Amino acid sequence: MNVVAIETATPACAMALRTSDGTERSLVVADERHHTEALTPGLHGLLVEARLSAQEIDRVVIDRGPGLFTGLRVGLATAVGLALGANAELVGVTSLEVLAHGAHRAGVRGVLLCGVDARRGEIFVQSFNLDEGVEILDEPSVALPRAVVDGWSRNPTPVTFTGDGVARYDAAFREVPAGLFFEQLVPSPLEALRLGVTRPAQSQVRALYLRDADAVANFSTRERRS
Amino acid sequence: MALVLGIETSCDDTAAAVIDENFHVHSSVVESSIEQHQAFGGVVPELAGRAHVTTIAPVVRRALLDAGLDPTSPALTGVAVTSGPGLIGSLLVGLSSAKALALAWDLPYVGVNHLEGHLFAPLLEARDLEWPLMTLLVSGGHSLIVFQRGPGQHVVLGETIDDAAGEAYDKVARWLGLGYPGGPEIDRLAGEGSSKALKLPVSMIGDEYDFSFSGLKTAVVRATQANHEVALADVAASFQAALTEQLVRKLRSSLEHYEVKGVALAGGVAANSALRAGVTRLATEFGLVTHLPTMAMCTDNAAMIAAAGMYHLERGEASGLDLSARPNWHLTDVS
Ligand SMILES: [Zn+2]
Repeated sequence: MNVVAIETATPACAMALRTSDGTERSLVVADERHHTEALTPGLHGLLVEARLSAQEIDRVVIDRGPGLFTGLRVGLATAVGLALGANAELVGVTSLEVLAHGAHRAGVRGVLLCGVDARRGEIFVQSFNLDEGVEILDEPSVALPRAVVDGWSRNPTPVTFTGDGVARYDAAFREVPAGLFFEQLVPSPLEALRLGVTRPAQSQVRALYLRDADAVANFSTRERRS
Repeated sequence: MALVLGIETSCDDTAAAVIDENFHVHSSVVESSIEQHQAFGGVVPELAGRAHVTTIAPVVRRALLDAGLDPTSPALTGVAVTSGPGLIGSLLVGLSSAKALALAWDLPYVGVNHLEGHLFAPLLEARDLEWPLMTLLVSGGHSLIVFQRGPGQHVVLGETIDDAAGEAYDKVARWLGLGYPGGPEIDRLAGEGSSKALKLPVSMIGDEYDFSFSGLKTAVVRATQANHEVALADVAASFQAALTEQLVRKLRSSLEHYEVKGVALAGGVAANSALRAGVTRLATEFGLVTHLPTMAMCTDNAAMIAAAGMYHLERGEASGLDLSARPNWHLTDVS
């Protein structure tokens, strides 16, 4: 099976390709806010390198968030376009679980808190137990870094923090007495791919926004229509 | 046969269409998210962007199937997509999907200016189009007078210096407590009222062909505050008459200075009955052919984007996969 993974939940634009012979390739473009410009050329580059035509893609794995709304939309729109045009299967994974699997593969064990930068002073968080594989401990949510730090400061359980949301509020997270750190800014596209191949195909993948559209809306009437 | 798939997601409509080199429309699908925006009295960009993501693939698929094409290997010659101007979060959805489809099908694609798309709309309906053409392009976001020597050859003579015509309709509708979008409701009410009930100014400020509508909206507010008794239908009729008068006067001025064979209307406000009547009268007076688009061609659609794309693709002007969306892309900058 030829599988492509798209990872655009953070400012980085990342992608991976696994061909049927098991060869894995990945590309992480770290340019902030240039998902639109970098994603399709990057995918094209990986396909050319693997001497594969886009028609031969069997499955597209997409990080459906939570993360930056613009990046998610570019990633999802690209994924559904690719799936439609190449008649490929579509599978969604979340940015937080991809971070958890990345940490687990790197040897992190015990309790892990993944934090993705949500901007506007908030982070998307979810905790996992990595002792036996990756076990989900709670649902993804949006939170204030201060509240997360205060909560873990009262908790004697050793915890490892990871993700660009943690890095952004590093000074606050360093206050947690039992806190450890695993640096991982970009959810790994290869990890997303490996996670995505294990799952059943979906008829539709929805973005995981965790924030209502009207909460981010600006009610400008100057927006053009028709 | 050359066949182009057009994709349009610059505002709240998700649209896809297939046309051929003779500008025959093989399919045209438009899915609107307008109902989600009505409670807000205007398009909420984040809501629009989210809606596009869920509708883009089904809309494109339906347009292909309606045109009798296999979505996996359609017999297309290219893909055209609106890459500006518009809401950035909306533009990115269509652009990203178009790139992915072009990659999957190994086809050339081109980023099209949305306004240029509107200018191509008459070509999809009139087989006897003679050039040059004077086009009044009026919508919720734009108001322009464009002189066209031929397809793809356009000179912007004038545009609004403040609000767009459709925007003025929306603002006045909101002031009057009417729904969104305001155009259709004001047009309906105006038919029952007297256009002479309120004295409203016909603004002629700005350059010769430029428009200004913000003063008119203020005048409506003042006049209705001063006269509480005036009927809603009369306000609607007076406002519509004043706005139409300005558009027609500027258009007249352009026809006095430029030699053309026909006059065309384009954009959402082209659906307005008073404007259609006014422009038809004017064109008749000048002995010119009037091109009034059908309602489906006035509002945003992907057939017009496919048409503009066909023009550029036939000239070998395909875009690179690294193309960016241009939310403020001016028609003057289209080459
Ligand atoms: Zn438009």
